[in-house]
Amino acid sequence: MADETFDAVIIGSGAGGAPVAHALVRAGKRVLVLEKGPLFHSQHTSPDGLSDFKRDEEFATGAEKVLQVQGVANTGVSFYSSHVEPDLNDEPHVYRDTDGQDRVTIEGYTAQVVGGGTQLYGGVSLRFAPDDFRLRSANQGRDDLRADPGGDVAREARDWPFGYDDLEPWYCRAEELVGINGTRDGQLKPASVDNYQKPLEPNDISAHVAAGMDALGFRRYRTPLAVITEDHAPSGRTVPTDRESIKTAFVNRYGDPLGLKSNTWVSLLHPISTQPGFALRANCVVTHLSATNGRVTDVHYRDPLGRERTVGGTVVVVACSAIESVRLLQLSAERDAGFADRINGNGLLGRYFLTHCFGGASARVPGRHDKSRTLDSDWATDACATPEFVRANGLWAGGAIYNNTSDSALPISMARTWAANDMDTMWKGYLYDLDMRGDQFDGYLTENFGRQLSVAFMANQLPLPTNRITLHPSVRDKWNRPVAHIDKGWHSHDRAVMDVLADRCREILARGGDGVQLIGFGHVGNDVRRIANHVLGGARFGTDPADSVLDPDCRAWRFDNLYVTDGSFMPTSGGANPTLTIQANAFRVGELLTTRV
Amino acid sequence: MPVVLIARDDQYVLNHTTRFIARDTGTVSEPFHLPVVDTHWDGASAETSYQFNDVTFVHRDDEAREVGVVGTFGELHTPVPLREVRFLDEPTGLWAATVRVGKGQVHRYRFTVDGRSVLDPVNPQRQRTDNGQEWSRFFTHGCAVPVSFDRWELRLLERLVTQVLPFQLAENRRFLADFYHKLSRSERDRQFPLAFLMDESVGVVNFIDKLLAREERHNLDDYKICLRLIDDVLRARFPGREPAELGRQAFMDLYDELAANQVPGWDHGRYGEPRYFLLLLRRHAMTGAFAHPKHGGNHGAAAWAYLAERFEFDWRAAVEAPLGRNTDYRG
Ligand SMILES: Cc1cc2nc3c(=O)[nH]c(=O)nc-3n(C[C@H](O)[C@H](O)[C@H](O)COP(=O)(O)OP(=O)(O)OC[C@H]3O[C@@H](n4cnc5c(N)ncnc54)[C@H](O)[C@@H]3O)c2cc1C
Repeated sequence: MADETFDAVIIGSGAGGAPVAHALVRAGKRVLVLEKGPLFHSQHTSPDGLSDFKRDEEFATGAEKVLQVQGVANTGVSFYSSHVEPDLNDEPHVYRDTDGQDRVTIEGYTAQVVGGGTQLYGGVSLRFAPDDFRLRSANQGRDDLRADPGGDVAREARDWPFGYDDLEPWYCRAEELVGINGTRDGQLKPASVDNYQKPLEPNDISAHVAAGMDALGFRRYRTPLAVITEDHAPSGRTVPTDRESIKTAFVNRYGDPLGLKSNTWVSLLHPISTQPGFALRANCVVTHLSATNGRVTDVHYRDPLGRERTVGGTVVVVACSAIESVRLLQLSAERDAGFADRINGNGLLGRYFLTHCFGGASARVPGRHDKSRTLDSDWATDACATPEFVRANGLWAGGAIYNNTSDSALPISMARTWAANDMDTMWKGYLYDLDMRGDQFDGYLTENFGRQLSVAFMANQLPLPTNRITLHPSVRDKWNRPVAHIDKGWHSHDRAVMDVLADRCREILARGGDGVQLIGFGHVGNDVRRIANHVLGGARFGTDPADSVLDPDCRAWRFDNLYVTDGSFMPTSGGANPTLTIQANAFRVGELLTTRV
Repeated sequence: MPVVLIARDDQYVLNHTTRFIARDTGTVSEPFHLPVVDTHWDGASAETSYQFNDVTFVHRDDEAREVGVVGTFGELHTPVPLREVRFLDEPTGLWAATVRVGKGQVHRYRFTVDGRSVLDPVNPQRQRTDNGQEWSRFFTHGCAVPVSFDRWELRLLERLVTQVLPFQLAENRRFLADFYHKLSRSERDRQFPLAFLMDESVGVVNFIDKLLAREERHNLDDYKICLRLIDDVLRARFPGREPAELGRQAFMDLYDELAANQVPGWDHGRYGEPRYFLLLLRRHAMTGAFAHPKHGGNHGAAAWAYLAERFEFDWRAAVEAPLGRNTDYRG
């Protein structure tokens, strides 16, 4: 018997967990959210008026730490993590590199804090395009696909159990309750209700992107961002009188001390925190689940001091972000053959792990702009997500393109990302550019500070059974549990998608006006490790129990009361940043659950 | 001075400590987080709050009946009691107290557990007093009292980091001098307590001194060894001269040699790769110059002011008053 019981126990408080909690508590249910990370406040939710997040570049990417994990090929390397990422020595993710060796990576973590990845995210809140939900049907009978000699698209593409129109009302719900600013006109994604708040004036550097998109005939719209620009009644948040002061470059990779960024703590959980049915336990890590006859009876967790406790729920919702959710289910299966048989009878748990095909282009603009007065992005376009574009280019699916405005906006972040584009190679470009000193340092600032502009794309990655999460045979976390082992590669068609979209990004900048100099363009197609902070798949849902881990309601097929609502449910990764879709789906499941508990 | 106790709740203590402490294997991670040094807010004014930090002492002891802390931040012989932190209405074995401490200070402290005096077992910072007694140590934001280096090391380091930063250019030197002279007397006293460090390095040396005492303690030996080696090399090259007082060219040459990983006279037996030290120095100089002044560098936000003057960079809009001009954000 568990120590105590609730109507629902939700594991993880991020994009996939918080909407479920919100729906259930609003319906009068008793809900416990267990969250591994701390409850870091914004000023308005804090008892002492101070936020645990700071506008401090050391918070996004901190001091050097040294990897001490044994038995991997990169023991001894330096890494730099944010203040809400786990210490890699305590809880590493290990991936298999192309040379067959295992290495620890910082990629694949979102953030471990109440609110999960939405505390640090850029807040780009795009919907998926209608065809993203039906990539199997849309590609039926095609013989014009590039770089797919084995017919993998035909074999591996899946339709979602429902279409865009079915999720549409939940997109509206998410946009309303989360709090998003942006514009609709020009989107490929029809909306029945426009819940956007009014965007702020774009940073003037973004005019080059607008010009480039216009020159190419790409319809553009203001990037929907999860940052409130007006008072937000559903969450009770208010904005400063001077709306322009909402802009700050401390956005992407920074928690927001003012709570204007619509992370799931300030937008969804804090508003229900005074309801009698709601309990949140931060600093509590769930170690495994146990079940009897297809009913999860106990959620086993360690309390803040590491003591073992259990709790039961009429339903149990797993939302730890995909890698960690898959791992939690696998750890539970490892202890109990019956659990293993039910959760992984078809061998699919952990398979079809997904991220996004991504990349982009960057340039130096002729004028100088204060990039510190910005949000994460100003302009987006769906021009490369239309069925016409996709077909004309021999691709299976398209993607979204948007500009980044906050990157390289702050001096340290500009240096540490100089010629380095991921977390694992942070600092290397600047450090080894040894001529950059004294007056050459001054020259580097003159040339680049306030002049860098980039455009990024996010596109569907082809699902493959070989891209998968398993338990590592030897590396263990600080609780002595096997860590996640990531096997991931890019399909040749993924590279074709990325080549095409990176080139479009290049063109946008190339046509961005006189004097715009291209610095480079490209994608992650030659780096198996890159995960874009978008951790998806591994427990996909579907209509056929032999072909999926979850049913269309995100319930594990052979369990009565076990649901998974973070990004792992996705059978395809969508042609846009995933969080709004995770949230919309979680609202859908949350509503369903109100009738089941 | 009587100690001012600050109410920070149990959730705060758990949030800032347990993920480092709680575990089945290995030792406490990131032990430098303790004691927790954080922003102070008096509920009224940014100006008055800005002079202080909140310092939260945390001690774990499941058996103790009474825990306190004594230190130079308060009265040395009267322990400040720590309360037992609770979770789900049960004792956790964690004890904590938050006190207000002025910015820019270094203090020593010890815990008292049921009358016994113990060092903080987590915090690696230690200090020995003249009578040989060992204490735990912490420092608050913007602290300019050297804790890792001796004076000769600080002066040599100062010369080295100016090679990395842009402030050795004549026009930038002029800017910094103007910036400093334009500050009022009280601002100068507050922001540049170690005036001899305010030059072309905008306080980077002080930043490194603090970083090596805490977050990057693992790199302290590299500095100690390499500064000694550099001192040896320069003394051999320029007999009878103080290395820190050599001309600019001597340091420019040294930089090139470190970059090439070939420093004539370098004792490779004591430190294999001189270039590795340069890489450390480059990262630390860059970070120290442009990080928030609370970390000990970027004195008076001089490096940000330089960016604002030369380029478009309205840092004051984002940063808390009174350092910046944002009054919504409290730091
Ligand atoms: C820097 C950055 C920028 C990003 N920008 C964007 C963007 O602009 N747009 C976008 O759409 N997406 C963005 N993302 C991605 C976004 O954060 C994720 O897609 C989203 O948060 C995923 O939701 P989730 O529910 O799957 O996981 P999360 O939101 O990460 O939530 C999982 C939670 O579960 C907790 N947890 C894990 N294991 C356990 C356990 N065993 N017990 C208890 N709790 C546990 C974690 O601590 C975490 O809080 C960004 C991410 C990062 C890191």
